[in-house]
Amino acid sequence: MAEIRTKVLIVDDEKGLRLGTQRLLQSEGYLVSIAENGTEGIRLGTEEEFDLAVIDLKMPDYDGLEVLNKIRQIHPNTVCFIATAFASYDTAIEATRLGAFSYIPKPFTPEEFLYQIEQGVKHRKVILESARLLKEREENLLELAQEKSKLNIIIKSIEDGVLIINNSGQIVYFNNSVLKNLDMDELAIGDDASEVLPAKISEIISKYFVSFETVNKSFSTQIEIKSDNELFIEVNCSPVPQTDGSFSGVVVIIRNITETKKIELIKNQFVSMVAHELKTPVAAVQGFLTIILDKNISTSRDQEIDFLSRSSVRLKGLLDLVNDLLDISRIEMKTKQRELVNLNIPETINSTLVFLQLEIEKKKLIVNCEFEDNLPVFKADLNELTRVFTNILSNAIKYNTDGGYIKIKTSMTGNYLCTSISDSGIGMTEKDVNNLFQEFFRAKNEFTRGISGTGLGLTIVKRIVESYHGKVEVESEYKKGTIFTIKLPITLK
Amino acid sequence: MQAHEKYNKILLVDDDIDLLEQNKIMLESKGFIVITAESGKEGFETFEKELPDAAIVDLIMEQHDSGFILCHKIKKTKHGKTMPLFMLTSATYDTGFKFSASTEEEKEWIKCDGILHKPVVVEDVIAKLENYD
Repeated sequence: MAEIRTKVLIVDDEKGLRLGTQRLLQSEGYLVSIAENGTEGIRLGTEEEFDLAVIDLKMPDYDGLEVLNKIRQIHPNTVCFIATAFASYDTAIEATRLGAFSYIPKPFTPEEFLYQIEQGVKHRKVILESARLLKEREENLLELAQEKSKLNIIIKSIEDGVLIINNSGQIVYFNNSVLKNLDMDELAIGDDASEVLPAKISEIISKYFVSFETVNKSFSTQIEIKSDNELFIEVNCSPVPQTDGSFSGVVVIIRNITETKKIELIKNQFVSMVAHELKTPVAAVQGFLTIILDKNISTSRDQEIDFLSRSSVRLKGLLDLVNDLLDISRIEMKTKQRELVNLNIPETINSTLVFLQLEIEKKKLIVNCEFEDNLPVFKADLNELTRVFTNILSNAIKYNTDGGYIKIKTSMTGNYLCTSISDSGIGMTEKDVNNLFQEFFRAKNEFTRGISGTGLGLTIVKRIVESYHGKVEVESEYKKGTIFTIKLPITLK
Repeated sequence: MQAHEKYNKILLVDDDIDLLEQNKIMLESKGFIVITAESGKEGFETFEKELPDAAIVDLIMEQHDSGFILCHKIKKTKHGKTMPLFMLTSATYDTGFKFSASTEEEKEWIKCDGILHKPVVVEDVIAKLENYD
């Protein structure tokens, strides 16, 4: 790095002295600026910061002390000298009081002058260095304060509870989430952790105080804080080491896992229900086979054929159920590759009706379709939408009365492409409608006996439609009929 | 006296007609006379008409608690009070909906004299009837 040259300002009304000192300093490598009077001196000395300034005491326009004062108001670190032939004790004191570094009596020899200047340069270095250190220290403190408050804000605002216990077992820090996640009203710094925290947490913490072995281990546990799945937490305890590695306390993280637990419960309930639904047909088939095979029970050939065909029906039902379950799992896991194409809803409905023609004829049902003109297309997977209409239409057939009707109407209503399918079937009670989309729910009454189904058809309909951000609505009147409305969202241009 | 002689006429109530018929055949093969009903409502009507010696009632029929309701109704009658009445279910271990009728208090609650698990094992029915006093 090139050496920075020291900048000196000479303010003197005496031309010879001005130029003499300028030459002398320049020959020593200084950068020199000169001012021939006080006004010029103030201008130069305030416009830019000089390292040193040598100011004559007596000038026609300004007093040297005033010039010094003006310069130092703007640049307090400029090292100033007062030079004068009228040296007096009083002016020397006044000059120093105003911040002059030193006093140079005139006349002076070049050696005397340079010596003074060198002293000034040394002083200037000390001043600059201390100013730099001061600034650095202030910046560090500010940064530290900002870091500390940032960390504090982060810990305070996170959802997880953070609680710190010192090596005497006292609580030394906790954020607000601790209270929320433990469902506690009060907690204080200095509380004995084993007395105020839930027993299961205290138990873990106590491990750190009993054995040296545990000092490096973390422990976690799950605790039901409020029963009936209202508040479930996961607690993680980790030791906090001191800089020398010794044990200084425990940090406890308390996380609310209620939602995860709820999902787990729903999943378990679903698995139990599936098991129950799968078991029933298997048990029925097994029962028939046991009777046929049991030598102690006599059965006729006709009876055996009846039992076998009924077994076959139950197995068909079981297969349907397994297929429905696989569909649900595919929809849920989104593993199925969707082939999105522009679908014409009336066309999709018509081809579904062709597929169901046999059943429609068996019940002598009248099907009436009313499709609005110029309906927009809907981008979806053909198999999925066919599945939606098949499930609803086959319900409209199964639960219809012989010789009844099915009315299908598709139109644009607001942003939705709406298809309503109404039937003149047995309808549902309000209670049944409320349970309709629940897995395995099947309305049971005097009319439904003998109608088979998996109890998953409408669950599948709902999940498919909702996966396209659509809605399924149902209106029903017991013994009168049911109207299902499928609403698929269309982006209007 | 053997079970089928003491409790000859048994009422079976189940909405699964396949299981109903199977259990009927099994019990008949052991010498019981079996009468059947396919719902809670029909079950109570048959009970009042036939006044059976014992009854086995499925828990989940038209409603999830149809079996409970039928048991309560039967136990309220003079004949039902002293008649052995068993609840048939697979709910205990499949659905995590656990209940039993082993203590007097539980029997009082559920209003039945014991629980039979699906599939029905005829020997269990006979053992339960023989232990009934």
